[in-house]
Amino acid sequence: KSKAVAMAKLILLLLNWIFLCCNVAAVFEDQVGKFDWRQQYVGKVRFSHFDSHMQSSKKVLLASESNVFAALNTRTGELFWRHVDKTGPEGNIDALLQHGQDAVLVIGNGHLLRSWDIGVGGMNWEMVLDPGSFRSACLVGHQGAVKHLAVLKKTVISLHYLSNGHQKWVENLPESETVDFQAVYSGGNGEVYALGVVPNSHLAIVVYSLEDGEITKQVSVEAPWLSSIPASCSVISRGLLTCLEMTQIPLQTLGLDVDPGFRPSLVSHQPNPAHPPLSEFLLQLGPEHHLLLQHNDGQIVTLRDYKPALLASFATAGEKTVVAVMAPKNKTACSINLFSAETGRRLLETTLIFTVDPNGGKPEKLHVQAFLKKDDSVGYRVMVQTEDHTLTFIQQPGRVMWTREEALSDVVTMEMVDLPLTGAQAELEGEFGKKADGLMSMVMKRLSSQLIMLQAWIAHLWKLFYDARKPRSQVKNDVSIENLSRDEFNLQKMMVLVTASGKLFGIDSKTGDILWKHYLENIPLNAAFKLMVQRTTAHFPHPPQCTLLIKDKDTGLATLHVFNPIFGRRSQVTPPALPQPILQSLLLPLMDQDYAKVLLLVDDQYKVSAFPSTKNVLQQLQETASSIFFYLADSGQGRLSGYRLRTDLSTEQVWEVVIPTETQKIVSIKGKRSNEHVHSQGRVMGDRSVLYKYLNPNLLAVVTESTDLHQERSFIGILLIDGVTGRIIHEAVQRKARGPVHVVHSENWVVYEYWSTKSRRNEFSVIELYEGMDLYNSTVFSSLDRPHAPQVLQQSYIFPSSISTMEATLTEKGITSRHLLVGLPSGGILSLPKMFLDPRRPEVISEQSREENLIPYAPELIIRTEWFINYNQTVSRVRGIYTAPSGLESTCLVVAYGLDIYHTRVYPSKQFDVLKDDYDYMLISSVLFALFFATMISKRLAEVKLLNRAWR
Amino acid sequence: MLSRGSLSRLWLFVHATFVVVSCFTDMEPGSGVGVSSQPNGDRFKIEGRAIVPGVKTHDWVSSARVLVEGEEHVGFLRTDGSFAVNDVPSGSYVVEVVTPTYRFEPVRVDITSKGKMRARLVNYIKTSEVIRQPYPLQIRSVGPHSYFMKRETWGWTDFLMNPMVMMMVLPLLIIVLLPKVVNTNDPEMRKEMEQSMNMLNSNPELPDVSELMTKLFSGSKGSSKAGSSSKSSRTVTKRR
Repeated sequence: KSKAVAMAKLILLLLNWIFLCCNVAAVFEDQVGKFDWRQQYVGKVRFSHFDSHMQSSKKVLLASESNVFAALNTRTGELFWRHVDKTGPEGNIDALLQHGQDAVLVIGNGHLLRSWDIGVGGMNWEMVLDPGSFRSACLVGHQGAVKHLAVLKKTVISLHYLSNGHQKWVENLPESETVDFQAVYSGGNGEVYALGVVPNSHLAIVVYSLEDGEITKQVSVEAPWLSSIPASCSVISRGLLTCLEMTQIPLQTLGLDVDPGFRPSLVSHQPNPAHPPLSEFLLQLGPEHHLLLQHNDGQIVTLRDYKPALLASFATAGEKTVVAVMAPKNKTACSINLFSAETGRRLLETTLIFTVDPNGGKPEKLHVQAFLKKDDSVGYRVMVQTEDHTLTFIQQPGRVMWTREEALSDVVTMEMVDLPLTGAQAELEGEFGKKADGLMSMVMKRLSSQLIMLQAWIAHLWKLFYDARKPRSQVKNDVSIENLSRDEFNLQKMMVLVTASGKLFGIDSKTGDILWKHYLENIPLNAAFKLMVQRTTAHFPHPPQCTLLIKDKDTGLATLHVFNPIFGRRSQVTPPALPQPILQSLLLPLMDQDYAKVLLLVDDQYKVSAFPSTKNVLQQLQETASSIFFYLADSGQGRLSGYRLRTDLSTEQVWEVVIPTETQKIVSIKGKRSNEHVHSQGRVMGDRSVLYKYLNPNLLAVVTESTDLHQERSFIGILLIDGVTGRIIHEAVQRKARGPVHVVHSENWVVYEYWSTKSRRNEFSVIELYEGMDLYNSTVFSSLDRPHAPQVLQQSYIFPSSISTMEATLTEKGITSRHLLVGLPSGGILSLPKMFLDPRRPEVISEQSREENLIPYAPELIIRTEWFINYNQTVSRVRGIYTAPSGLESTCLVVAYGLDIYHTRVYPSKQFDVLKDDYDYMLISSVLFALFFATMISKRLAEVKLLNRAWR
Repeated sequence: MLSRGSLSRLWLFVHATFVVVSCFTDMEPGSGVGVSSQPNGDRFKIEGRAIVPGVKTHDWVSSARVLVEGEEHVGFLRTDGSFAVNDVPSGSYVVEVVTPTYRFEPVRVDITSKGKMRARLVNYIKTSEVIRQPYPLQIRSVGPHSYFMKRETWGWTDFLMNPMVMMMVLPLLIIVLLPKVVNTNDPEMRKEMEQSMNMLNSNPELPDVSELMTKLFSGSKGSSKAGSSSKSSRTVTKRR
């Protein structure tokens, strides 16, 4: 027996060892792309340039409002390369100039010049410019070659070499205090023109020599009507400045009518900076009215009148210049036509149909790529940019080559919704719902549903068989909204994403395909969004329902958008109008008779309204009002206050905590996630006693930062407040530390990360709360009846990188160990086991701590690239990580969003409830067979032996 | 209680290091944090070069970035692998070259208020320790990132050297060989063996778990879960 004991011990030791060694969430190389996908975005496009210096080039350069510069493949819409600069005004792209292999960007209000090699995607040079706010930049050509570029600032003009960025000359602008210089121009004749205006007085033109920057000419033109050059003037032909006079008189003499209330604009075209611009130009007179005009010997001639025309744009291929004009055809389509710029004649067979997405925005910009066909005629493709930041690349006669939803570069919030059951599954579920029927009908129903399932199974088998015969490439994964259904383990879900532009997306989490989109118009610029799932797919005849609260941050006024998360359609339920500013919204666990969760909205009069507000709901609210508490936070006044609901739906203040705003400010408040489950109530210690966790569902973690930012005096504070009673459970202050603070609050712990100003490093700190060795009331937790303060343990660690965002994994029942998912600025998403952030990590290892599997304390946490859940699929500018449980306890679904979107599955405790995907069926079956045969043979041998013995 | 003690010790330690740090920082008054408070102060340039041995720069520069203290300052690589990060105020920064494919070690760069630069190894624990690095920076890649775990490939040797298998095979050998070597029918020998077994089982503190295991194994008769190890253990008991 003792041998068995010894063996058991050995097994235990081994298990321990295996557990310690293998508790890492790593990706295997053959899993690449199996469960994960990434989509890379650029942001709302500000400048675009088709690379045309080579006939076969398929690049388009994009510079976006998110300070991203990228090259796309025009055939597929995928990125060749992308460079992500700093966010904010310092990385703002002011201008994009392209010449040959080089693209020059003016960045940060004229602070930097950067030249990129567009073939390689590497930088040629970077130059810091003299201070001054940026006005304009242009390429300067001379004698057919472009070698310089000119940058105009408020007070200076400078000329740089294209090859290395060095300054050729820099000159102060004359009378720059009075004259507002706004544009710079060069016509390829060895001169650079700076155009300025004195508002309501005159126009000033200063001509510089290209060679040495000397002023060769200075002209002043009387123009009392002119206020802005880029808006109303442009240079055409051989250095002829055409300006639009707003008083309309000269236009009327040409016989042109301007739409009332519309500001006309001029567009000219300079195909080559070494040559003067064309003598043709476009004039927009109304939202749907464009004109192609030509300057001819001092006369302006109308070549063509486009009405209606939404957009018009020039493009050049070889020596030919064309105008592409988009005209509305009907409600769902626009037609684009090509016209010769010289004559204004329509080119034959150049019509292209652009279908307008009814769930998208209106077309906003037309980017035309023109090329010469073999027969010397002009062919073209267009990239249409719409209001919802979508880019659509279309080829003749209207084939969409690719679409990019650039709105997805700015996801604000998201939810994951379970997919609905299929008809058959729903039938089966429905069977258990009702019980009133008799025995016979129950049997019949059961049989019929079994039949339906059999039918579905046979159909599935048939499809498999049918697909197997076809080559692999032809088998399409025909995911559409209609055939979406929940899979066995609920691993495939619908991702509902809300973007800052007001466009909503429904994405299939398995493939990343966009299944529906819906553009909400009239979204205020600084809107805050909150997405709530009011009804899941679990209540079959009732459709699932999501509610989006859109709040204008300035006025506080809010609107509700109620929709079906599976189809994206607006729901029939009419949301209530909200005339008052909204302070707080809460989703209660109460449900109305249609299984929709009740949403409470608190307005600035502290009045509460419910949605849905049926009689049933109001009655339920009255019954449970005494147990509904909520809190409001006013970071401006540093006030945190708790309220209770009265039965008449008015509120009553219960507690208030004021944080002095002169020393610190509230930066974030984190509660626990409502769908979080904690499986074990306590932790088993080395001596077999249990340390019970303090699991207060009403606990709030309030983070404050000091207003004094001096490195000696700055601090951050963490307050743990009970949201019902206002009792301060714990307070921690980290001196000589500053934000940004990232917090994760879950179970009985709070993890936060801050910058230590003293040691100049990032640090993690973990606070864990325990009830102690015995539980006060083990059945139910009540904030009002918890006399003992919890024990608080805290420990801090050094983290060798700054972080962008942080979230904890979440599983169905909370049995699986937790990991922290940390988004790093390098683009990696680190899966850090919570085990490393445990305040009970001992400094000195004892027998008991070893028994508990505690890792000895080490001050520095290590970043291992094996722990990156996204391997080399970096996610730029991670802003948020969303975690959702799946039907498998071991598996947590993760979506990281920022500039890119990345989805994957993580298994914090490995896949303990399902066979791994590398499970060796061959080995197990061969071993089984071998054992089977071995028993057969040995049985036979034993029989022979027995027989022999019997004979003896 | 334990953790508080450790924390305070950590603070003490940090405190001790700070004294040393301040000795260095006194010649650079506006270090690190005062960025927002002195926007008009002098701005400097961090320069260097990143090298991936054996790989052409064209193949990797387009996906590379230079991050100074997180994303506080961002620089890009030129087509020859060199880089310059402009507009960095005086202070101490961790400079890192990040690419999805190659790994580069971070370097700490100190800039005095007069613009004097020096580079040293990053040490987050002893923040004042100075191990000089060349400046302008020469950052050499230490190889490609290893993102993936190795799959356990299956081979006969792995199977045989597996501790579980060894554990199965060794007792089996003992069971088969032992009766042949020693005569178990000899009463003296049996007594000796029992004594030695008692010696092994001398620790009375631990057995509760192991006993549980044996109970579990011997209790679940014929259940497939107990597996082969229980089988062998049962044969052991039977033999005696």
